[in-house]
Amino acid sequence: MEEITVQFMLNGKAVRVETPPAFTLLRLLRERLGLTGTKPGCERGECGACTVLLDGEPVNSCLILAPQVEGREVLTIEGLADGDKLNPIQEAFIEKSAVQCGYCIPGMIMSATALLDTNPEPSRDEIKTAISGNLCRCTGYTKIIRAIEVAAERIRKR
Amino acid sequence: MGERYTFLNREPLNLSSYKFLLLYMTSYRYIGRRVPRIDARDKVTGRTVYSTDRYSENMLRARVLRSSLPHAKIIRLDVSRARELPGVEAVLTHEDIPGHNGFGIVTPNWPVLCVDRVRYRGDALALVAARDEETAEEALSLIEVEYEPLPIIETPEEALREDAPLIHEGGNIQHSMDIPPKGDVEKGLAESDIVIEETYSTQFMEHAYLETEGGVAIYDEEEGVITVWCGDQYAFRDQLQIARSLDWDPLKIRVIGSPTGGAFGGKDEISVQIHLALLAYYTKKPVRLHWSREESIVAGPKRHAMKTTFRIGMGNDGKLKAIDVKVVANTGAYDTIAGPVLNLSLESSPGPYKYPQSRFRGISVYTNNAMGGEFRGFGAAQVVFGLEQELDKLAERLGMDPIEFRLLNAVEEGDISALGHRLQTSVGIKETLEAARKTDLWRDREKIKRDLNAAARYKKFGVGVASEWHAVGLGVGLPDFSNIIVEIHEGGEIILRTGAIEIGQGNLTAYAQMLAEALGCDIEKIKVIHGDTFESPDSGTVTASRSILINGNAILDAVKTLQPKLIEIAADKFGIPGDELEYSDGRVSFRSDPDRTLTLAELADHAGSSGVPIKVTGTAVFATSDKDFGDGLPHNYYTYITQIALVGVDTGTGEVEVLKVISLPEMGKAINVDGVEGQCEGAVVMGQGYTLYENVVVEKGEFKTTGFATYILPTALDVPEQETVIVEKFEKSGPFGAKGVGEAPTVPVTPAIVNAIYDAVRVRFKKLPITPEAVLEKMRDLAGTEER
Repeated sequence: MEEITVQFMLNGKAVRVETPPAFTLLRLLRERLGLTGTKPGCERGECGACTVLLDGEPVNSCLILAPQVEGREVLTIEGLADGDKLNPIQEAFIEKSAVQCGYCIPGMIMSATALLDTNPEPSRDEIKTAISGNLCRCTGYTKIIRAIEVAAERIRKR
Repeated sequence: MGERYTFLNREPLNLSSYKFLLLYMTSYRYIGRRVPRIDARDKVTGRTVYSTDRYSENMLRARVLRSSLPHAKIIRLDVSRARELPGVEAVLTHEDIPGHNGFGIVTPNWPVLCVDRVRYRGDALALVAARDEETAEEALSLIEVEYEPLPIIETPEEALREDAPLIHEGGNIQHSMDIPPKGDVEKGLAESDIVIEETYSTQFMEHAYLETEGGVAIYDEEEGVITVWCGDQYAFRDQLQIARSLDWDPLKIRVIGSPTGGAFGGKDEISVQIHLALLAYYTKKPVRLHWSREESIVAGPKRHAMKTTFRIGMGNDGKLKAIDVKVVANTGAYDTIAGPVLNLSLESSPGPYKYPQSRFRGISVYTNNAMGGEFRGFGAAQVVFGLEQELDKLAERLGMDPIEFRLLNAVEEGDISALGHRLQTSVGIKETLEAARKTDLWRDREKIKRDLNAAARYKKFGVGVASEWHAVGLGVGLPDFSNIIVEIHEGGEIILRTGAIEIGQGNLTAYAQMLAEALGCDIEKIKVIHGDTFESPDSGTVTASRSILINGNAILDAVKTLQPKLIEIAADKFGIPGDELEYSDGRVSFRSDPDRTLTLAELADHAGSSGVPIKVTGTAVFATSDKDFGDGLPHNYYTYITQIALVGVDTGTGEVEVLKVISLPEMGKAINVDGVEGQCEGAVVMGQGYTLYENVVVEKGEFKTTGFATYILPTALDVPEQETVIVEKFEKSGPFGAKGVGEAPTVPVTPAIVNAIYDAVRVRFKKLPITPEAVLEKMRDLAGTEER
């Protein structure tokens, strides 16, 4: 099928990319833009591993078609750190040992980012709800929830 | 092509020679602390490259044609139309397999591509490689298969009928095991004051790692080398299995098996590896194959469904007298590692308790259901679910506290086990039970339940406890070894090479901790090169909770060789005899003048300039049990664990909420406290899923659960508050006193929850998962009985 051109803001930079019209945003990121931090876990919106922020909202990038992001803003895991300087959520995930196999972690961190961007003082239940669409099979979520709490505290103190 | 290192040292370690290491390590810098993972930074930034993250310009996309029937003869397989589709580079069938058409960790009877028969819905018939996913998909639809359906066998009961069709020529019994009986179990039961009997059944369980099976392969024609990147658990075994099917020199197959996006036992066996190697060989182009979630559920191995019957006898004094266990496993269509799984079910089934008389018998039976395979907990989860309920029932008969009852019967170091072997390594079951008894949750449980109930009248609350011993290592008679390499490079960079795979458990960090501690150097100086058959030595498989103990001992063995070598280098540099020098804390210094030293970097620079790089190997072999029942039984090391669960049961809906779980593992010495907690927390939630939600539903061989909308995993909203109480007990033959902890916490959490449900609503369950419907039905039955 004929490819189309899509233009959008990706991690703060304007990009223009050719894509098959039926490509999902997930495949566009991974296969055309080389951003493999966004993970396919089910490709039908059931696991959250491919979570990115679309205009600040967390979405399953496997459920968004590439042409839908035209003119919009996409933030992926690769766009969080400022060079070598990690953001507070990433730092807290390392410090609190919230990472095991790591495959769900980019999506988990993107969901946490969306939460803390809009709610700097979330309760534990609000954190659980915010990541309830992100499955993790390794950690049992305990240290992930704790890491998000720690990140929230640090962000508030700034 | 890289060097290949294979050693198999069958001599057990002489651990007394390691005392020197332990003596000066009275207080540790890295061991037993919370050490951040060395791989975490790349994982939180998205920089970690998993094997399914590899793409290149001309990379082909592969797909597998799966059987559309659970059991059938293949009458005709025609791939000609698929081969003609533009954009298709290869369509392969069994005729294209140069070597053995089969794989399997123990018995390689799982076909790479089926010839004339399919035995389950996941069976592979043909492979396609095409320029893109869409073309590959279309090519699959052009392959014509004509089947002659055969009767579908769902259960072992059906498979064992006299008139049942044979799934394999040798019969439908895949494996049977009778452990030599200890004493006379019938006599023991006859002499018991109380005898109880019950049968428990468990479902197939999906691993549900977030990264499904997948990878990439390339064929370098010039070198004759096929390279396969595939997240696995044992790259060296994959290398041999690929070589066997391709009829290829294993030394010209490079497998890079790490990192892995979750494994839990499910990636110890072959999935995409042989298919990828075949396609790369035939197309001479890079090929990518990544299973869909549905394919992962249908084709990949599961936790075996099992039925376990217990007969247990006890005296009026509360002492266990006899246990008779029978296990029947539904193993699915092929072998993979079903025999050892069943064996470990039997070994785990008595628990860490003393019984003077015992008998353990089991069979594993072929069916056309889901494929049974290796899964964290390895045959133990299925049986401990039943055993620990039986023990609670026995305690209740005597009005005894469940922990007191377990303490009365628990084994100690030096005891003869229920199976008849001597427990010659650390045994901490009593310590875990005593620590459990002291927790607030256990001590104040009546008050905690009352308070919760006061706030939610429609709910009932309960607290339950359960314990387990879980074997560590592969077992007697199996090649249970590790080899590692330590190099010190100019500038002081230390490289640790190990074949071990990082499947998420944090072993690389633990290895770096152990090496840094033993060498007395900074952990930041250590780089771990791992899981690559060309760049690392064979350290054995990452399974059976074995990798901390065995690789840790191999690391200590390397350091033992390294220290005299470093002194030799320093002696050469200073031009004095080596006995005037000593090694400590990452440097060699003069005995007479401790301020005159050479650091590791200086030593490496001197060695480098003399053209003799610093490189040593370390090896270790598991010490084995004093008995050998065959097929790996029994084991010599166990993790001991007790878990306590607090649950709330909604009496209106039957829904069970797990509110709190405390895990109290004894795994020797904890190397990384965060690592041990992480293993327990993840395992508890896995066990919670097994107990309450998860079930691979297969009806007449057809999968009804094909994704996470139908196969329900616990989410962050479902999980309990968790606490881990590490019960340390020094194991003298383990590195720094460590054993292993990966699997055990997955297991007793299930009966702990079930015992807690009983405590709340007085109903027991013989079948998993415990759905709200099942709870309501049992509660109605109970109410009916009470009314009558």
